[in-house]
Amino acid sequence: MGRSQESSDAGKQEPLTTAMFHVLLALADGEKHGYAILKEVARRTDGKVRLSAGTLYGIIKRLNAENWIVESAKRPVAGLDDERRRYYRLTEAGRRVAVNEARRLEELVAMARTKNLFRKPELA
Amino acid sequence: MKATPVPLSKRMFRALLKFLPEDFRSDYGREMEHTFEDQEREARSRSGVTGVARVWWETLRGIFTTAPREHWEMLQQDAAYALRTMRKNLGFTVLAVLTLALGIGANTAIFSVVHGVLIKPLPYAQGHQLVFIRQQAQKEGIDDTGFSVHEIEDYRQQSHSLAGLVEYHNMSFILYGHGDPDRVRTAVVSANYFDLFRISPLMGRTFLADDDKEGAAPVLILSYEYWKDKFGSDPEIVGKTFELNDKPHTVVGVLPPVPQYPLESDVFMPTSACPFRSSKKMAEDRDMRMMEAFGRLKPGVSLEQANADLSTIAGQLKAEYPKSYPDSMGYGVVTTALREELTHDAKPTLFVLLAAAGFVLLIACANVANLTLARMSQRERELAVRTALGAGRSRLLRQLLTESALMALFGGALGLVAAYASLGLLTDFAARLTPRAREIRIDFGVLVFTLVAALGTSMIFGTISAFFSRINLSNGLKEGSSGAGSGQHRNRVRSVLIVSQIAFSFMLLIGAGLMLRSLYKLQQVDAGFVPQRVLAMRTTLSFSKYATNEQAAVAIKKLLERVEAEPGVLSAAITTGYPLEAEVIAAGPTAYSGPFQIQGRDLRPGEAPPVGGQFSVSSNYFQTLGIPLKAGRFFADTDMQKSEQVVIINEAMKQQFWSNESPIGQHVSGDNGEHWATIVGVVGDVREFGLNRAASPEFFVPQLQNPGAAALIVRTVSDPGTMARAITKAVHEVDSQAAITRVMTLEQARHDSLASPRVTASLLGLFAALALLIAASGIGGIMALSVSQRIREIGIRIALGAQPSAILRMILGQGLMLAVLGLSIGVAGALALKGLMKSLLFGVTPADPVTFATVGIVLGGAAIIASYLPARRAASIDPVDTLRME
Repeated sequence: MGRSQESSDAGKQEPLTTAMFHVLLALADGEKHGYAILKEVARRTDGKVRLSAGTLYGIIKRLNAENWIVESAKRPVAGLDDERRRYYRLTEAGRRVAVNEARRLEELVAMARTKNLFRKPELA
Repeated sequence: MKATPVPLSKRMFRALLKFLPEDFRSDYGREMEHTFEDQEREARSRSGVTGVARVWWETLRGIFTTAPREHWEMLQQDAAYALRTMRKNLGFTVLAVLTLALGIGANTAIFSVVHGVLIKPLPYAQGHQLVFIRQQAQKEGIDDTGFSVHEIEDYRQQSHSLAGLVEYHNMSFILYGHGDPDRVRTAVVSANYFDLFRISPLMGRTFLADDDKEGAAPVLILSYEYWKDKFGSDPEIVGKTFELNDKPHTVVGVLPPVPQYPLESDVFMPTSACPFRSSKKMAEDRDMRMMEAFGRLKPGVSLEQANADLSTIAGQLKAEYPKSYPDSMGYGVVTTALREELTHDAKPTLFVLLAAAGFVLLIACANVANLTLARMSQRERELAVRTALGAGRSRLLRQLLTESALMALFGGALGLVAAYASLGLLTDFAARLTPRAREIRIDFGVLVFTLVAALGTSMIFGTISAFFSRINLSNGLKEGSSGAGSGQHRNRVRSVLIVSQIAFSFMLLIGAGLMLRSLYKLQQVDAGFVPQRVLAMRTTLSFSKYATNEQAAVAIKKLLERVEAEPGVLSAAITTGYPLEAEVIAAGPTAYSGPFQIQGRDLRPGEAPPVGGQFSVSSNYFQTLGIPLKAGRFFADTDMQKSEQVVIINEAMKQQFWSNESPIGQHVSGDNGEHWATIVGVVGDVREFGLNRAASPEFFVPQLQNPGAAALIVRTVSDPGTMARAITKAVHEVDSQAAITRVMTLEQARHDSLASPRVTASLLGLFAALALLIAASGIGGIMALSVSQRIREIGIRIALGAQPSAILRMILGQGLMLAVLGLSIGVAGALALKGLMKSLLFGVTPADPVTFATVGIVLGGAAIIASYLPARRAASIDPVDTLRME
């Protein structure tokens, strides 16, 4: 059940929520379990984006349903493992979506530049 | 190993997780718990309590944003799935939705009436403070004697519990200047009447204190209905002038649609404008009681306090004016909440209808649950597969409930349409029971009710079907697709459902049967007159034109002569009110009754004088209506004003006061012995005030001696309906200013007088017919299913030599068993609900054996017919075919 995988089609992709994008980003450099994702996002945004157990797993469920992330079969060595933990990995489709989103943001920033949005405020 | 206690924060987190859907919890719950623990631990080590608080806050926020989204998503999935299933089983879906639509529609319709009439607050600000005050003569059994001008003034000034007290009385005047002369029912009220009720006008203004001053320019306020019907909602009406009582009256305002009590009125005028109210006699005589009184309780004052307060005043008045309040009458005042006053008559009928509609819904629920259970046997494998694939039980329950909720919502929407369509009819019906009928509409409250009814319904039948399907989930895969064995338990459930359907149907049929029987009895009542070929019309002459009784008597005589000269007219008469006239019924006997004295029979001290109804009729009245003469003579034209005063009494009065002697030649007085009239005749009893009301003592005085507001009645040779135009013309030839209204035949009036029991009977009959249909189809359905489940067994029985007739009897017997069980419970239920129907019945007891027997036979017969088809199928089973099927 859930949304079909066609929605990962790059052209028609709808903007991601900030939180979703951050979760994809967190997984871009390797698989992680939930708590690690949460910490990574907080660290990278200097605590500006703070996810909780409540929000994170709603996002994971949706990313999972879209097949943008999957549960990884690989587990850490036995001594470090906690069987309650699951590790998530970015799929190729997920990477494409993240890239598309990054491009979209990039284009937005470029647009803002051509409008000279970032000029230094003139002193009166 | 000893279990370590679970820390509080973990327990709290687990409790929090319960807000998420079960699926979500089983997928991520443990992981979330773990993540939360990590997060909390780190926050504690880094920033102590504030860190923990922050984590908790974020977690709470997270879960309460995620939970609704997840639930909503699941609901969408379930709904989409349910819609697919429903489309696949279109026949079942249509049947179930229609059944529910009938149940919910019936309830919505009846509830809209109950809501508008009984539940909603009165459409006046602080309406609960409004009271109706009646003066009673309890020893006389007079419920409402009215108040005189002096009394109104006394109560207004002396009361401590009322913030205000206003007067009201009803008159008929003729309004000129808009089409034909129109008889307008006029409420004459205190200038601050509308202020007391806190009614703001729809247009213009209400009365001002100056309007009531002597010599003030006459003004009128129109009721919403009169403005709408007679003036086509003319937006320019305010400021227009019409002639009433020889004077131009200016319309100063239009009222919003508000309930009118005690009688409906077309226009309102202040007391100074009413020639009767402002006459010297009315103003000065404490005993001239014709006004009703309304009051508004001061804030915080209870009804009991007001009652005590007004009773004290009544006691003081009695001490001060003993002649006006003789002990023999038992004068007193009673205060009732206006709301109670407006709705009192409607309650018994509405409660019966609400109960009946509720029964229909219960039957519909049972039936849909039964249909669903039948379908479960087909779906068992599907559900079992889904369980095997990991769907939890509550997940499946949720799925099944979503399906039933969707069906109930569809049924509710359809039912709403049906209720909306029947609203006009129901409002007309309710208008006969309460002046609040105009407030009936399908508004937000009713919509909420429908939604709750639909969802409640789906909970009932959804849970029944889901619960009993759950029991068998684990068996679904093990058994063959025929599902024969697993059905055993469920068949018992289905039988219970059928039995309860029959029981409720029985109760409904009893209700309908009793109403029909009492309607039939009412129709058979001999009202004491011959209604065929009589035309009646309110014919109001302008009393200002005929100032004296003599002038009026001459005009009436001329009018009757002219009408009787019309070809096709057998006889014509004038009366203050004819039997079963809507206005007469609405006003009730009290309005026409008064105490009287019999010459030679002195009252013992403290004994109440007798009370009788009084009608003023012209000489041909009894002949025109076909009322038989029992003794003496009818009135003659010679019974004129100047001659000896005469009266004719009815049989009831003779029986009560002269049971063993002839009343002819005896004398009675209606004015404390001032004038005595001789009894010249005795006529048969007539049911004036309703077919259900036995005649009480009445006397008739000649119209020529007592001309009064009148109806013209005309007996014709052929169809009276076709004569209306000619007779109207004849009346206008005599007096072009006479107002003619409410033209109808007496048969129509008689028919209309039964409208309320007729509609109640029809509604109950409709509900009962629906119930019968649903129950019969239910029995047929379960018998058919039982036969198809037992095909093999029946085949073997036949192969072993059982006669087809024995098989037929066996299956029929089973159907009948269910019916008999249901009937027994139904009888008990109907007997338990006896009290509910009692006040609606006429000539039938609520435990009427004829009705019970008839309904039993009908329902039993329906059960046999419904079981017959499956039974015949069972009897014709070919054992060879059955074995081949295996």
